[in-house]
Amino acid sequence: MADAPLLGRLFVFRGTLPRGVRFGAGAATAAAAVGLWAAAPALGWIAPVFLPSPWAVLRALWTMTTQNGLLGDAGISIARVWGAFLLAAILAVPIGILMSSYRIIGAALEPLIDFIRYLPVPALVPLSIIWFGIGEETKIFLLWLGTFFQLVLLVAEDMKRVPHEYFETAYTLGAKPFQALTSVALRAMAPSLMDNLRITLGWCWTYLIIAEIVAASNGLGFVIWTARRYMATDQVMAGVLVIGLIGLVSDQLLRALHRAMFRYL
Amino acid sequence: MPVVEAPFNLTIPRGQFVAFLGPSGCGKTTLMRMVGGLDTPSGGLILLEGASVGGPDRRRGMVFQSYSSFPWLTVEQNVLFGMKYRKDMLPAEKRERAVHYLKLVGLGAFGKSYPARISGGMRQRVAIARTLAAGSEVLLMDEPFGALDAQLREELQVELRRIQMEDAKTVIFVTHDVEEAVFLADRVIVFSPRPASIRADIDITARLGAARDLELRDSAEFFRIRTEILHMLRHAPAMGG
Repeated sequence: MADAPLLGRLFVFRGTLPRGVRFGAGAATAAAAVGLWAAAPALGWIAPVFLPSPWAVLRALWTMTTQNGLLGDAGISIARVWGAFLLAAILAVPIGILMSSYRIIGAALEPLIDFIRYLPVPALVPLSIIWFGIGEETKIFLLWLGTFFQLVLLVAEDMKRVPHEYFETAYTLGAKPFQALTSVALRAMAPSLMDNLRITLGWCWTYLIIAEIVAASNGLGFVIWTARRYMATDQVMAGVLVIGLIGLVSDQLLRALHRAMFRYL
Repeated sequence: MPVVEAPFNLTIPRGQFVAFLGPSGCGKTTLMRMVGGLDTPSGGLILLEGASVGGPDRRRGMVFQSYSSFPWLTVEQNVLFGMKYRKDMLPAEKRERAVHYLKLVGLGAFGKSYPARISGGMRQRVAIARTLAAGSEVLLMDEPFGALDAQLREELQVELRRIQMEDAKTVIFVTHDVEEAVFLADRVIVFSPRPASIRADIDITARLGAARDLELRDSAEFFRIRTEILHMLRHAPAMGG
């Protein structure tokens, strides 16, 4: 293998990759993207007003943070995302479990949930504003709407995938159905449930920006939308960058939590 | 679910090791699950010491082929789980029993390991120890060694037989492996498919004795019984007429 040509060693169908090479490949792509981004306005390919240089964006980020209270807006956005996400999770987890545990509940709820699940959140913005005005309720409602109905079905699926053998083993050891649920099923589904919660949290950010663009006076979506009005592209991109960073950090934190919680996997 | 159609009567005395043998879809697993209270017969009766079997309970423990132990519990916690719902035992007694049965199945040194870190054969031993520790009177085993390689299987078969004789447990062991059935069981029930029925009831202990070791597999009598049963399965009434 060692004397095979380099390309041949890097491109092995379904093969493995050394850790260093894997990290290097990711870093190289990111660096190339930033390089291309820096080159485009510097070489006059794109006017800076449409694509400001990375440095301009970093400068904007700095002034926004020090002078315009960007951190406060980020905090408000994070609070909205987590508030709506927790509200969705607290309701979705028990309902999803019930849907898989009792056929009658699943049969009763699934068609309705499937219908609402396919309604695009932006289409419900006007209705939400009519119902809740433009206060916090509208934002929480929109985020909750976008996540709850998806999450319910994911939780139901997680529960359904718990092997039947686990339940039957518990029963033959004297467990009652509720005991089998709490001490076996919940434990068995926990890893995939955590994964689904993490993914759903990501969706919340998508809906947050929609909600903050149409009905807000603070938050990252509002900051981005306001900057657009003044063609402050550097500020728009700085805002987008912050959202990406928050997403990256929270995702990595949740992954680390997953690894710590499920060491037995 | 396969249907066992032909009427039959089967009495299993306490402490007997019975193998249900037959091709897939012959209803042997279903019958065993009915004994465990996990499936309900559409007709007829399942009696345990004269009392009709309702749902599953601790008196009949199951060992499945896969998902036999809980991956989020350590080996010892898995065995302790077998006694989780026993209110008649003190925690100290439960721990003592767990250690005892772990030693019995040869896993004394692996109590702190998680199932994902041990071999498939060891995982099956965990399930056996758990069921024994729970105090089940009847062990129901659904092809528990089906996913293991041949050498490990033999090893576990010898061990299971030793444990069963030591603890005088009643075992119903479902398998489609003729040699496994003959080697392990006191008695082999041969099922035939379509219409599912019991084709033969063979007293193995009368012909091979109760003690089983690996040399027995090479004996002429073992070979004769094996051939007899293979013949029976081969010349079962043809599928679909």
